Amino acid sequence: MNEQRFILDNIMSLKRHLLKRFDVYQITADRQGEKSWQVSEADEVLPLFGPKNLPLVSLKRFFFAENEAIYSFNGNTFSPIKPKIEPRAIFGVQACDLTAISYQDTFFKDDPYYQARRQQTLLVGIDCNSPCEKGFCHEMNAGPHVDSAHADLILSQFSDLQNTAVSSTETAKGAWLLIAATEKGRDSLQGLVLQNAPENWPELRQQLKQQVVAKFADFSYIKSSTEIINKGQVPAKLWEELSVRCLACSGCTNLCPTCSCYSSYEQYDSESNQTTTRRIWDSCQFEGFQREASNHNPSQLAAQRTERFWFHKFSNAYLPEFGRYGCVGCGRCEQTCAGSIGVHSVMKRINQVCCN
Amino acid sequence: MLQLTPRSIRIVDSYEDGQNAKHVTFEPIDFIHEQPVRIGQFFMLSVPGAGLAPFTYTSLPDSKGRFVALIRKVGKLTKAIYALKQGAVLGYNGPYGQGWPIEMLANKEVLIVAGGCGIAPLAATIDHLIEIGRAGNTTLIYGAKDRPSQVLSRERRNWQNKILVHDTFMQTNDADKSGTPTQHIENVLAESDRHPQIVLTCGPEAMMRSVAITCHRLLISSDKIWLSLEKRMRCGIGLCGHCYLANELVCKQGPTYRYDKLLELENKTTVFHKHTGLYQYC
Repeated sequence: MNEQRFILDNIMSLKRHLLKRFDVYQITADRQGEKSWQVSEADEVLPLFGPKNLPLVSLKRFFFAENEAIYSFNGNTFSPIKPKIEPRAIFGVQACDLTAISYQDTFFKDDPYYQARRQQTLLVGIDCNSPCEKGFCHEMNAGPHVDSAHADLILSQFSDLQNTAVSSTETAKGAWLLIAATEKGRDSLQGLVLQNAPENWPELRQQLKQQVVAKFADFSYIKSSTEIINKGQVPAKLWEELSVRCLACSGCTNLCPTCSCYSSYEQYDSESNQTTTRRIWDSCQFEGFQREASNHNPSQLAAQRTERFWFHKFSNAYLPEFGRYGCVGCGRCEQTCAGSIGVHSVMKRINQVCCN
Repeated sequence: MLQLTPRSIRIVDSYEDGQNAKHVTFEPIDFIHEQPVRIGQFFMLSVPGAGLAPFTYTSLPDSKGRFVALIRKVGKLTKAIYALKQGAVLGYNGPYGQGWPIEMLANKEVLIVAGGCGIAPLAATIDHLIEIGRAGNTTLIYGAKDRPSQVLSRERRNWQNKILVHDTFMQTNDADKSGTPTQHIENVLAESDRHPQIVLTCGPEAMMRSVAITCHRLLISSDKIWLSLEKRMRCGIGLCGHCYLANELVCKQGPTYRYDKLLELENKTTVFHKHTGLYQYC
């Protein structure tokens, strides 16, 4: 579909409109200032957005549930348990997380549980107008601006259209470019009176993006370490050195918006005499992840498991299937890793050891 | 869309087959196998109360849809199956994975090397080779710990006078049969004047690797050597991630692998397990 572009003077008018048809989720800060995705209970609460408000926990669980019932057994028959999801709009998603959702859309394209949630969801992306603290989305081709293929609606904020200065206040008001990137996005706007955006606005948005990109720090070590990984030049000894710092806490895999491993377990209810099988997020960083009943474990060494995670994020071997790397540059692994072996630490160390 | 919910099957027959192993026949309840099962594929068996795990078809579904699996008591799940009686209802998903390269076997001299329960995924292949009139060109070297632990006794009895079978045992006084199956490959081939053009192997991973290395040394090119890998699996459909091997998932792209392709995959990462004998410290 061709993009449709409109002017919006206040994103709250869009939010109010969407609330008529959707449960609207937005980034909300708790009393400690921690950001998370929550359903908007009060109509007038301004959604948080932008680089300073990237929640530590991504949107992954909205589609690939952290723990869900998948089928039940009554002693004779197995019956699927389908998720019941009301139409929902997720308002203000950053480009990196949208890229990750697109990656997961490919991985889970035939998963009925993922798709049931995904199809009920309208994604409203907002361009980031500055780099965030740990992020390197631009280096990973995942931001800072939203890719039209990754969201239904896209918002881009211009504070001053004459010189396209970037807004630093992140307020709702001002001049917004609203793009309907999909059919679903266009349908969601029905009933909202909108004025078409001037023809030069996409160009202004592009200029804005260049200004933001120029503000990113130098992440060239990410690119060079990716090359080293793909040439198989990271010595086993270095993976071992890095793996010593892994506490197998699964923080990286839980927070990584493109990690998708799971396990399953059963719950028996004596009253109904039913067994319910549930799936739950799992982690390749756990020692027993691949261990077989015979105790043979193909990834027994911590070094193998550490290498596994980075291979999954940066190997060219995944490009034919996904068209991109598994890392979207959100920096959450760096933020959470207690052993300081998140993406920046690991890629810097690889660069340091292998390039000197 | 993928089907995660199993379909019901019931145990219609079972008998002890070797030590701590059972030969179990399953029957579909209210479904037919829409997809034909290929030799070497596997299915996921859900055992209510114990979880799910992959098993191979020792024999493919017959006209009534009945199929057979060999179940050896190893962990929690197989212990639970072992305790089940005739008529017990279980869950079934499949067929999954890529089977053996059956089309390639038609006009070839075939060597099959199996270890322990690793003979189970090869049984239907041997039956097929006999059926298509290739018994005289099929050699089986079957290794087991000792004679009582050999499995598929009825099937092997049926093969005995049709294909060339050489048994090996880790524990035996018979020098002709003592050792691992790999140690016997060269002698068996020399004595029978057989020159295999394709090799299929299944058993403990270390055994399969040594079989592949030995056969390669005997000038069988690595693209003619096939292995069937065993991995922990939680779904069988390429989602749960447990059976990863570099960028592939053994449940989807495997479990059968051509040796050269397997090495290619393994060379994508740098840390190897010590037990494989390929551990390399740079």
